[in-house]
Amino acid sequence: MTPLAQIRFGYGPAAGNTGAEAFAPGELMAQLTAPDPESDRFARPDGATRQALMDRHRAEVRRRRKTGDMSDQDENAPGRQLKTIFAEDQLAFVLRPVAARNGFVERLANLWANRLTVGVVGNAGLLIEPFRTEVARAHLAGRFEDMLRASLWHPAMQVYLDQKRSIGPNSSLGLRKGLGLNENLAREFLELHSMGTGYTQADVTELARLLAGMQPDANGPGLNTAAVEPGAKTILGQRFGDDDPVAEIDRLVSVVAARPETALSVARLLARHFISDDPPADLVEALTQAYLREGGDLPALYRVLLDHPAAQDPVLAKLRSPQEYAAACLRALGLTGRETGLPGLHGKQGFRLPEALMRMGQPIFRPRGPDGWPEMAEDWLTPPMMAARIDFAVDAARAAAETKDPLAVTDLVLGDLASPALRFAVQGAEQRWEGVAVLLGSPEFMRR
Amino acid sequence: MALLHLTRRSFLTCAGAAALGSMVSEVVFAAAGSENRLVTILLRGAMDGLDVIRPLGDPDYAGLRPTLLSQAPGGLPLDDRFALHPALEALHPLWQSGEFAFAHALALPYRKGRSHFIGQDALEHGSGRADGAVGPARDGWLNRAIGLIPGADGGTGLSVGQERLMIMEGGVPTGHWFPVEENQLSAQGRSLLDRLHREDPLTGPAFAAAMELATAGGKGKILREAEMYDLLGQELARQLLGPARIAAFALNGWDTHQRQTHLIGERLPLLARVILSLRAALGEAWGRTLVLTMTEFGRTARENGSGGTDHGTGGVMLAAGGLLRGGRAFGDWPGLAEADLLDRRDLMPVDDLRRYPAHALRALFGLEARQLEEVVFPGLDLGRDPGLIL
Repeated sequence: MTPLAQIRFGYGPAAGNTGAEAFAPGELMAQLTAPDPESDRFARPDGATRQALMDRHRAEVRRRRKTGDMSDQDENAPGRQLKTIFAEDQLAFVLRPVAARNGFVERLANLWANRLTVGVVGNAGLLIEPFRTEVARAHLAGRFEDMLRASLWHPAMQVYLDQKRSIGPNSSLGLRKGLGLNENLAREFLELHSMGTGYTQADVTELARLLAGMQPDANGPGLNTAAVEPGAKTILGQRFGDDDPVAEIDRLVSVVAARPETALSVARLLARHFISDDPPADLVEALTQAYLREGGDLPALYRVLLDHPAAQDPVLAKLRSPQEYAAACLRALGLTGRETGLPGLHGKQGFRLPEALMRMGQPIFRPRGPDGWPEMAEDWLTPPMMAARIDFAVDAARAAAETKDPLAVTDLVLGDLASPALRFAVQGAEQRWEGVAVLLGSPEFMRR
Repeated sequence: MALLHLTRRSFLTCAGAAALGSMVSEVVFAAAGSENRLVTILLRGAMDGLDVIRPLGDPDYAGLRPTLLSQAPGGLPLDDRFALHPALEALHPLWQSGEFAFAHALALPYRKGRSHFIGQDALEHGSGRADGAVGPARDGWLNRAIGLIPGADGGTGLSVGQERLMIMEGGVPTGHWFPVEENQLSAQGRSLLDRLHREDPLTGPAFAAAMELATAGGKGKILREAEMYDLLGQELARQLLGPARIAAFALNGWDTHQRQTHLIGERLPLLARVILSLRAALGEAWGRTLVLTMTEFGRTARENGSGGTDHGTGGVMLAAGGLLRGGRAFGDWPGLAEADLLDRRDLMPVDDLRRYPAHALRALFGLEARQLEEVVFPGLDLGRDPGLIL
């Protein structure tokens, strides 16, 4: 038995799983449309709910400041609720893939959310989970162009990349207050989200002129007309700005999404994420062609990826990210991640997943920059990060401890892929839990 | 690599390294014959009592602390004058249940020098002298107190840790003990993993370096700091549920001349963690426990120009425990008007800090007034009982 599909294209086998005999691209593709009640249990409060709470919270803070009220806030105070929501958002980052049935969908949701990174900036952390749902999850089985458009307009992205501060210098607001452009969103849209290469600084500035005045609200795209920069803009050799700005931005997204540079960039992302830090050139080429041929239809690309021989290569070339690693550990042992007061977890706060991930190098929702979490193994392999992985392996093994046979868990999580050396090592431990810890802490289990 | 780190040899090093060398913790225990328990936490570096227990109701306070209050505004209300620093939020429920209290504006007889080293020695020795001198014996007041407790068996104490604390040192043998982490890979488990990673060019170097981190003991940045304090509380409790009745340890890192908001905001939750984990792990015995924090002196009433405060005089003592008559402010409040400050800069001491532990020793272990005034705290005027104990 070889659980390769679950390892390479999911979060690893889960205790109690059976099947997974042969590698079947069709089964992975079927996940894209299959229901997943286990994942749905982690659906988070939507953007409108959060916005309403934030508005109430702001009003409450103002009132307390004005009246000098220092009394305790009760559990239902909007500030408390928001705090809880954000804490649960962070937990869901790990617990959702632990529970989910359709691991490929979860991997894709995280991949796209990372490609179009939004991180914590001020209060905007609360908008991250809505972004992940409304942009990444909503479009992962659709066209890349639609995902790009949703991302560009999403309030989380607008805040994260300072779009609010970008004012057309010749707009009424710009002229009156002497304000100007902020190129942050325009630049990252071209550099990180779409093309990566093939544009100039002039394109960035012109795009920033086009984007000035974007002001989405609860209903989607909208404008602050006072900040819209008048006049024509030339971007990638095409003229924009003669029509309604929202329509023009729409057209711009279509133009950018159709560029060969964007196709190559998306192709490389998929190949590098799922196959290897240094993916086969023919796979990247096949994905690029599929993108151009199918108009950026993402399932078509997934199919090309899964049908390529590299998808079935028994050599696991990629290192699991901390999130993927933690989720795989918990799944392997049938843990939910909410276990508390377990032996070996000194204290009754369970796995403290946000802290554990931070130590492994992935502070949840706080990547270093808009380029998101790294894709290359070396970036996850500093000695303290490795130490944190071993710590987590020990914690997880202790939590499941006495009931697990190390060799049986090895069969479950790696099957035929487990090397003789690994089998020897997990049997060589004196205690069951330690055998499991050796398995989870092994280089083979850290890979996918 | 906290789990692998927590060996006999490295625990304290780690806790210190976790705080970048500034918060070394030493643990000292002694056995005694009573069911009551006293835990003394030395907050070395001079904790800013005016930030921790904030006199928001004092009309002069806000004007003295504009930067600090803008960086960490407000606080959790305690009574109509005082509020708790937001970073101590975790202890607020204890205030409400009567298990937490404080006494403000306390100082040792050592007042004008404002030297950490003299102040810490004076505090641990229990010096009654204005120059803070400790005398040739260099012994600690807890040690002298243990010598007076009927049935105390100082010889059965355990010794663990790097340094001993003067507060527990002296003529009576006392324990010196060190928590041991059980939850780690055995040497065998480690070597099994080592063999697997050694063959792997990708993970091998990182794993080897990680193991070196673990065995070197505190050279790298140890990240699981908060857990260290949970563990410390739990292990303290285990000892206190055994023969130990009097324990002391030190938390360093309170000398906040700059970036006070950041520094104190990091340390206060750790203090809360120790207390709360101790409380949880003691169970019913918490009802027979008193925890006192002491610091060598307070800090200036007025913030300085670098977002901090400088060495002052009147400081705060925090108290917790099931034995405590908590939920109240002990002692008088001298006020913060310029004319009320010592040297126009420090919170004016209203009481001798030593009176509180003296009365606690009397209530918990039956020490007599004469013993306290002559042996434990020479020169102390025991005065009226502040009523700390239920």
